[in-house]
Amino acid sequence: MSALLELRGLEVEIQGLPILRGVDIEVMPGEILGVVGETGAGKSMTARAVLDLLPAGSAVSFRSCSFGGQDFIPVKARQEARGHRIGFVPQRPRGSLNPVFRVGHQLSDALRRLRGLGRRAAKKEALDLLRSVRITDPERVYRSFPYELSGGMCQRVCIAVALAGEPELIIADEPTTGLDVTIQAEILRLFGDLISEHNTAGMLITHDLGVVADVCDRVAVMYAGRVVNTGTTAEIYREALHPYANRLVSIAASLDSGGAPREIPGRVPNPGDDLASCAFAPRCFRAESDCFEQEPPLVDAEGQLAFCHHPLTSEAVSR
Amino acid sequence: MTAAIDTLAVRDLTKIFRIKTGGFRQSDLKAVDGVDISISPGRTLAVVGESGSGKTTLARLILRLLEPTRGTVLLEDVDITGMEGAALEEKRARMQIVFQDPYDSLSPWQTVGRTVAEPLLLHQNLSKQQAAEPVAAMLERVGLSPEHARRYPHELSGGQAQRVGIARAMITNPALVVLDEPTSSLDMSVQSQILLLLQSLQEERNISYLFISHDLTVVRYIAHDLAVMYLGKVVEAGPAARIFASPRHPYTEALLKAAPRPDPAHKTEHVYLVGEQPSALDRAPGCPLYGRCPIAEDVCADTPQELADIGAGRRVACWKRT
Repeated sequence: MSALLELRGLEVEIQGLPILRGVDIEVMPGEILGVVGETGAGKSMTARAVLDLLPAGSAVSFRSCSFGGQDFIPVKARQEARGHRIGFVPQRPRGSLNPVFRVGHQLSDALRRLRGLGRRAAKKEALDLLRSVRITDPERVYRSFPYELSGGMCQRVCIAVALAGEPELIIADEPTTGLDVTIQAEILRLFGDLISEHNTAGMLITHDLGVVADVCDRVAVMYAGRVVNTGTTAEIYREALHPYANRLVSIAASLDSGGAPREIPGRVPNPGDDLASCAFAPRCFRAESDCFEQEPPLVDAEGQLAFCHHPLTSEAVSR
Repeated sequence: MTAAIDTLAVRDLTKIFRIKTGGFRQSDLKAVDGVDISISPGRTLAVVGESGSGKTTLARLILRLLEPTRGTVLLEDVDITGMEGAALEEKRARMQIVFQDPYDSLSPWQTVGRTVAEPLLLHQNLSKQQAAEPVAAMLERVGLSPEHARRYPHELSGGQAQRVGIARAMITNPALVVLDEPTSSLDMSVQSQILLLLQSLQEERNISYLFISHDLTVVRYIAHDLAVMYLGKVVEAGPAARIFASPRHPYTEALLKAAPRPDPAHKTEHVYLVGEQPSALDRAPGCPLYGRCPIAEDVCADTPQELADIGAGRRVACWKRT
């Protein structure tokens, strides 16, 4: 099966600072890929590069990039896909709806523009979309302004907007950050259900490993502008190859079981910092001199891929 | 001396805000409604609840940053609710707070050293020179170097800034520290560092923590005791481990079920509460969860159930589960 979205060697510089340093990501049809990492790892920037939504003054380059077989390197191809073939669910739902227009107006506007519907057809379709994101009183929500709706409700509306263009891929950037847990659970379930109902694929950007475990089929773990480890969710959570991913999962797991978390010493590097050949080496419990001197090789084991000199393969595991 | 004087004992604490609801109409918003909690020395009480549950208002009332409508706050067996002037200032040194956003809670114009020294200058009348030594020692204790004293907040990472916030709170040697979501704006790897630091400080100094959070994963790790709030009321309280193992209040149950866990084999169950949290304005007299609760009966609509003892140190406010 060939990937729906496949990008290789994505590099982004903003005002001369390297933000992404060769990101490789693929999203297969029908799957939900979780992109996890800490602040500054480049999760959102990766999504924004695909959608051509980077801030002004950014320089983007790909080694290769394709979406559904189409070459995606030209800016125009990415711009045309945005909203149509790729839907986007933002982090701050209220902030990304226009406060001075009614929700229904914004949604039917998107439908008219993306699908060329007439006024009446757009309204009917908008109400259907609101129903499909499980809003029980779509007529009222259609007439509401964003400030009249709760955060969870606004996020449902944003998901409806993302669905408006009948996309093949939906990218959601921290869609539940700032929502209460009970609402978060509903939004995540909705996201997962819609992906399978509408036969699309999903890319879910988050820092929450609980969220990933809940809804994602595969995971890409990012660190300092690179994807350092990918694999199925089950494999990554069982025993991630890359020491960073491994420690991250073990911290989350030990907190969850009420045990004392292991520490990752130090902190995430800032863009522009001098990096070792492996950016994680200074914080890594398995680092040796080669990690500082040579680019880490791509290892393929246990159904995972990782950039690491000293991956945690099962024979080397010590827990 | 008897061993068990609670660091903090809160009785019937209530805060009602008068809100204008258009024209000349006013409504009452019970942000905190008859809360009873206590913390003994060296223990952590976590107050959990969703936004609007009143947990931050509760913390502010306890610290006397807000005046309660009703109720008392005992800090080390002394009623501080009506206290004023020098007596209150003295008590303020015994209760400190660490805020959620480390950058927002540090003055951008002050050096780290000045920020951490401030409580000493204020509460213990030390001179800047006298404060320098304890400040340096405190910075080292929280994992910074004395050299950080000359830096400004913008030169620090999020984790370092939060360490400064902790140093500032700890420097007066308080009995009670309120931790208001102290790790929720931090990255995972840094979050665990801060939790471990807070824990070792508690063991070393026998401090009581009031830990406010919506993140049940963190709470599961750090809390000894738990109070679950919903719309201003404590609906369930008791030892954290027992509540996590078998929640009794339907709201606690929903909260625990909804929290995603970092285990692909565990799928979050469908949340069984109906709809979303209603407005806290002009509430009906019955159970705050009535209308969303799957097991509610007629009695729940208009008869409030106060927290009732169910044994093993646990209290629940629910007609069906007591």
